[in-house]
Amino acid sequence: MSEKITKEEVFNAIRKVVDPEVGFNLVEMGLIYDAIIDDENNVKVVMTLSTRGCPLHQLLVQWVKDAVKEIPGVNEVEVEIVWEPEWNISMAEEHVKKALQGG
Amino acid sequence: MFQVSREFAPPFSLISPFFTAGSIFYLAAMLLLPMFGVDSTLYDIAVAGWAHIFLLGFVMMIIFGAMAQLVPVVLEVGHFSVDFYYLIWPLLAAGTMSMGVGFAAIPELLPYGGLMVLVAMLIFLADTILTLRKVERVSLTVKTVAVTNAFLLLGILVGFAMALAIGAGVEVDIGRWVGAHIVLVLGGFVTLTIVGMSMVLLPMFGLSHGFDETPVNRSFKIMATGILAYFIGTLFDSESIRFLSMVAIFIATGLYLWQIWLIYGSRARRENDIWFRSMVVGYGSLAFALLLAPFALIGRLESLTIASVWFLVMGFFTFLINGHLFKIVPFLVWFERYSPLVGKEKVPMLADMIPKKPAEFQFWFSTAGVIIAGAGLLFGSDELFKGGAAFMAVGAVFMFVSIRWMMNFGKKS
Repeated sequence: MSEKITKEEVFNAIRKVVDPEVGFNLVEMGLIYDAIIDDENNVKVVMTLSTRGCPLHQLLVQWVKDAVKEIPGVNEVEVEIVWEPEWNISMAEEHVKKALQGG
Repeated sequence: MFQVSREFAPPFSLISPFFTAGSIFYLAAMLLLPMFGVDSTLYDIAVAGWAHIFLLGFVMMIIFGAMAQLVPVVLEVGHFSVDFYYLIWPLLAAGTMSMGVGFAAIPELLPYGGLMVLVAMLIFLADTILTLRKVERVSLTVKTVAVTNAFLLLGILVGFAMALAIGAGVEVDIGRWVGAHIVLVLGGFVTLTIVGMSMVLLPMFGLSHGFDETPVNRSFKIMATGILAYFIGTLFDSESIRFLSMVAIFIATGLYLWQIWLIYGSRARRENDIWFRSMVVGYGSLAFALLLAPFALIGRLESLTIASVWFLVMGFFTFLINGHLFKIVPFLVWFERYSPLVGKEKVPMLADMIPKKPAEFQFWFSTAGVIIAGAGLLFGSDELFKGGAAFMAVGAVFMFVSIRWMMNFGKKS
């Protein structure tokens, strides 16, 4: 059995997924809420989107799955989209806030 | 769970003809604009011809193309049959050209052009109504789509009856019904569609959250009531009902502008890009049109009425549509050509897919044109109006160039 993967590895993998509209990755946007990893390295990513009507909804889910599957030793990957808590800019990393607000 | 799947997104080959045709009609309408002067009235047959080229060929064409993409996004279900859209744009384009020629020179063409437009819109309505039946979560936007489609149906039936009157001698009191046709189509469909869509698109592009939606909810109810009342006032030929309905529409517009202010205040994204500046000019024009409207209504001043309609149509409609084209077209092109390459090779960001200089020129020429020509209408100066119209024509050339540039981005030769 391979070594247990960590939440940090999952988040780092998702950093490769960039929203083409804003130009930042989903982790720095604060859209990834959690990554739950069981003993068999099955991963469940809990995330949100910046808007309910996002036309990239399913593509983003697929890209997150593909990115996490690239981690060596990972088993099944599931992505759950949640709307609570609702995303807002305070969840983004400081440099993102600054860039989006013209700083 | 809420889903908008890739299969809900119509193919680019289906939507792109709407944008190509829309940008050609926009260019044609703007090149024709300097032919008119401040002595033109809303009842001139040449103005009616030009208005149909602009409103059907550009405004409606772009709205229908955008709806092919946006209906699944805002209604959260797939189209009943998106293939219907393959029929809409050729019928609408042919109908618009026939109506333009019909108004300008051959009145006998009007019923045929009107019939083609009517069929195109009935196809659009059929798909939208059948799609609405699949909706599970009834939001304000869903209600907006349902109500606007009902107004569109009424508006085009009234319009078609007038086309029969002009071209085939059917007895219809055009002087009485033309106002209802304008209010139903421009207010009931175009404006209310923009209200509904803006509640999805403005927060999406501006990353606005947590704002109160009470003003737009009230605005929607009051405006829909006002437009229905205008139709009833026309049916019974009651001037007082028509007057009160216009007051209701003005109040609703004010509430909508307040809502936009709330969305603007809560936006997280404060970049001063071409989309944002187009929204500023668009909503600024709507506010100015609203400021002029009560004086035009109470004083019955035709020059103020024309100036108010100018800022509504050429400022608000045009800038809202053109501004959003700089968001929608790059997204559709990116989705078609680059989304399959994500993770395999470096892909451009959407902001890289906008031609910076032509977009800037388009914005500044069009903005100057709207203001200068609007001032010409207000002060009765033909020179100012024609000068402003010429600026708008140059802006339209840059808009056309921008659309072509965005649609060809990354295209394999």
